[in-house]
Amino acid sequence: MNEFVERAIDLRWPTEVKRAYDVVIIGGGGHGLATAYYLATRHGITNVAVLECSYIGGGNSGRNTTIIRANYGVPEAVRFYQRSVDLYAHLEQETDRALMHKTKGLLWIAHSEAGIRQERARAAVNTACGASTEYVDPGTIREICPQIDLTGNGVWPVYGASYHPAGSTARHDRVVWAYAEGAMRLGVDVFQRTGVTGIRMDRGRVTGVETSDGPIAAGIVLSAVGGHVTTIASMVGLRLPIRTHPLQAFVTNRYAQAFHPIVASSGLGGYASQTAKGEMLIGAEIDRAPSYAYDSGHPFLQHCAFRMMTLLPFLRDLRVLRQWTGVCDMSTDYSPVMGLTGVDGFLVTTGWGTWGFKAIPAGGEQLAALIATGRTPDLIAPFSLDRFARDRTMADRGSAGTH
Amino acid sequence: MAEFGGQMAADSLLTHLLRDAGVAIGGGCLCLAGDCPHCLATVDGVSYVRTCQVTFREGAAVTLHAANGQLPPLESPGERPPVTARTTHCDIVVIGQGPAGRVAATDARSVGAHVVTLDAREGQDVIGVYPGPLVVARTEDGMRHVYPRGEIVVATGASEIQPAVPGNHLRGLVTARAAAELAASGVPLGQVVAVGTPPDGIVCELASGTLVRFEPSSDPTRVGAVVMRDPGGVETRLACDTVSLGLGLTPRDALLRMARGMNVRGVGDVLLPAHVPPCPVEGTVCPCAGVTVADLASVHARGFHELELVKRATLAGTGPCQGAGCVPHIRAFLAAQGAALQPPFTARPVTRQLTIGEVAAGAHHAVTPRTALHEEHVGLGAIMERLGGWWRPWHYGDVDAEYSAVRTGVSICDVSTLGKMQVSGPGALALLEHLYPVPISTLAPGRARYVFLLDERGYVIDDGMVARESDTRFNLTFTSGGATFAEMWVRDWAESLGADVRLMNQTFSLGAINVTGPRAAELLARAGVGAPPAFLHHGQADVAGVPCRIYRLSFTGEVSFELHHAAADSVRLWHALLSLGQDLGIRPHGLKALLKLRLEKGHLIVGQDTDFDSSLRRLGCEWAVRLDKPAFIGRQAVLRTNRLPLDRQLCGFEMDGEQTTSEVVCRTPAEGATIWDGEDLAGVVTSTTWSPTLGKSIMLGWLRLKDGQLPTDVTIDGRTARRVPTPFYDPEGRRARG
Repeated sequence: MNEFVERAIDLRWPTEVKRAYDVVIIGGGGHGLATAYYLATRHGITNVAVLECSYIGGGNSGRNTTIIRANYGVPEAVRFYQRSVDLYAHLEQETDRALMHKTKGLLWIAHSEAGIRQERARAAVNTACGASTEYVDPGTIREICPQIDLTGNGVWPVYGASYHPAGSTARHDRVVWAYAEGAMRLGVDVFQRTGVTGIRMDRGRVTGVETSDGPIAAGIVLSAVGGHVTTIASMVGLRLPIRTHPLQAFVTNRYAQAFHPIVASSGLGGYASQTAKGEMLIGAEIDRAPSYAYDSGHPFLQHCAFRMMTLLPFLRDLRVLRQWTGVCDMSTDYSPVMGLTGVDGFLVTTGWGTWGFKAIPAGGEQLAALIATGRTPDLIAPFSLDRFARDRTMADRGSAGTH
Repeated sequence: MAEFGGQMAADSLLTHLLRDAGVAIGGGCLCLAGDCPHCLATVDGVSYVRTCQVTFREGAAVTLHAANGQLPPLESPGERPPVTARTTHCDIVVIGQGPAGRVAATDARSVGAHVVTLDAREGQDVIGVYPGPLVVARTEDGMRHVYPRGEIVVATGASEIQPAVPGNHLRGLVTARAAAELAASGVPLGQVVAVGTPPDGIVCELASGTLVRFEPSSDPTRVGAVVMRDPGGVETRLACDTVSLGLGLTPRDALLRMARGMNVRGVGDVLLPAHVPPCPVEGTVCPCAGVTVADLASVHARGFHELELVKRATLAGTGPCQGAGCVPHIRAFLAAQGAALQPPFTARPVTRQLTIGEVAAGAHHAVTPRTALHEEHVGLGAIMERLGGWWRPWHYGDVDAEYSAVRTGVSICDVSTLGKMQVSGPGALALLEHLYPVPISTLAPGRARYVFLLDERGYVIDDGMVARESDTRFNLTFTSGGATFAEMWVRDWAESLGADVRLMNQTFSLGAINVTGPRAAELLARAGVGAPPAFLHHGQADVAGVPCRIYRLSFTGEVSFELHHAAADSVRLWHALLSLGQDLGIRPHGLKALLKLRLEKGHLIVGQDTDFDSSLRRLGCEWAVRLDKPAFIGRQAVLRTNRLPLDRQLCGFEMDGEQTTSEVVCRTPAEGATIWDGEDLAGVVTSTTWSPTLGKSIMLGWLRLKDGQLPTDVTIDGRTARRVPTPFYDPEGRRARG
């Protein structure tokens, strides 16, 4: 008996594509589906199509390490992600679906004087912005996670950490499906295997999309794709400050539950948690070289395994099961880009780097509000595309290259 | 015979367990080929080991995985010798040494190719074909990293399809190949019934019809009979001790698919079309995850139609065999629901399992470099820290004394970690004019100045010094942590501009010792330098017999002479300075004291006080950019952003200590503390220290403007702080000039 078989979610696929919708969302990942869900549930807007070129949740929504946290480095980001943490905490209740949401607590380890400064700053900014994060000493770290080698194998000693009790995980696929189910139940049409090949414009205004299944008219088109957003944006002649980098992770076999928190280390460039199934899930920073490739690399596996053993020596004899790769759209200030684009009727939600999964509920909720009201909500106003032109970038050391 | 390998030279652990140890292997259809999850055990502390794939060794501690689904413990007990990694370059790599693989290897060798063969039956488990191309194998003697110049030949054969009917969890089920192999190894099989293709060389009863289920014997864990159904629907029950299952082959082609786009060729059974078994009707499909046909039907009825979605909804195919057992059946199931036959899962590493310790073999931590004076610092009792990517002395045990030595006497500091670069040639001046936001042509030979390096967006990427030796020769310094990037920056621009220059990285070849304090000149005089350079000048001189270029800038706020010299002379120079300054109370200072000294002077540290988007205006350093200069990197961006309203600025703050009954307590806020303007979060402190000289806490931090104004009084750590101009100490800079 497999306790992890999904037993409730019912995906009622539409039978045919209508030729016109109020809103077309490109990308059936977490962000696209959550936006559709909140349009339907919060604003009664259901004449919406979500177009997915592959299967839903098959991109980064299904390739991430399922971590939910709000411990970012700039106030605007902390507030935004805290909204997402709060929405996640009630998502099982709202959707009446088992999403395997589990609060684990997240330790972000400092191995240097600079690391201490960074983690203290993280804790201070988080606390000031409504996210609970505190700076903890090695003794407390040992209590939270007895498996950590505080000497860092004699090489990377642990000086302290920021501790974010709200750090949690959820089953990524189920989050995607729950949003898809909820949206479709209210009449949103979600199409798989329907790729967008062009965007129709008329006098500078978006009028619809071209798809592998024929043209679809829509007054509003939202790009919620991951990995190829610049391709979509170029269809309306828009250039985005985005580069796409691979991000890799690997997972071990299943072991008895014994590793409770999420542990991250910027110094060692990796993080680890134990899944509900018992696998150790380990990820690293993005690959330096931009690429769209899903190829898994050996240097990543070798070096990430080595570095994480430095901190967590119990990993040594665990057996590696599988590695995989996602692709991350990175903006130049390591913060997401949400909202209006200057092209009438064309909106984006992108720049999700390595933080897309944790942002799904808040991103969807806020974009839905923007689409429904035509007004950018305060919570996401700082993340607008024009911030680059306005010199209002949000350099976030709290998120650079991490999960 | 299996294409993957043929007979193992020695007994496998599984054969030993079945034949000699009388161990009851937990049920399921054994394949003996490393494809199924049924012979897993913990061997010498490593779980999830396929006992059919390891050689039997006397004394090995073996625990079969519990049949009740209890998971192995999350631990790695005891010590283990480090795993080695061996790298081989060759012409051709052949994976699999069955008949087809052997022919491929022989053919390649016959034309003189250097061939590496990797065969699972020889204990060489290929875990993946990676970009490179790189073929990685785990062996019992360590890791093999094989880089083929030419072809990768995949001869991994095909695996046998597992039964997906009720009772497939029982013991006594084996694939046809496994049956033959076990019999040849002397494992007693008892009465054998063969379903499908019969095993070679075994007397057995042939079952006809469609496989329906397995039934237990008197031992409820072991098979006692197999039930078949004829085309008329009549069931026949065949009693047996062992069932041999020849249900068809499915290519073991994960490596082949993983290597798409590379110079790869499959040979032998790996090219077979995948046999699609009959649609499973009842029972377990995925033994790893315990997924049944009913589970498949359940999720399918709720819209999970794609193979990848079915996998995610049931977790079928995510266990130790990664779909080897279940994928043929799930494809058959989905095809039977009316959809087209879907391709198998994407092939990803690792195709054979290995431990984290094994896969890490050959990796190492990035080296943190040491200066030539490292041992001197350690000898003086210094606490060494990684700072700016180097090991540096954090302090020597008495920060206050180190600080006082600089402010009142003389001190030395190892600043060899500074990035150092010499730029020379006819194009040197033009290149530097392009790189720096201030005029360089007006810098006369013998002069030096402090400069920022901007990127095209006008944001600070580094700071340092530019010193002019002659019309065509300049020496630059960069921050310790930023030097590598800065060097790339300079080289890339030199290349882009086609500058006729010679760029020489001197970071490691030159040592640097800063002599600083009101008595620094006195110490230098004792070392034989009677006429040291004036402030913002530099010159060549022998210091205690060591040829040095002496730069006269100041980071500490006191008179400072930065002595750049051949790194080979560092120890000699260090000793000479300490010895000559003994009666002046000389003592070296570490970074902790230096950070205090520089903060009193309001000097920022790039990377600590700056961010990715720090313009000079935001840093309050507009004096460091000359917009009347016609062209330099970032000029356009600075002009553009200067027209936009300023949003935040790096500011200086001071806070009084707290007067207790007897003394003033510092209670300096920690770096990272938040800055509040009334109820509004207004910024973050980036640097703090207690200034002994000023008797108050001093800070740098980012402050947001409100209504276009920077607030004057703010709250930090619940206490009032004042925004004040920097430098905090000696604002006129008289002391540094001497």
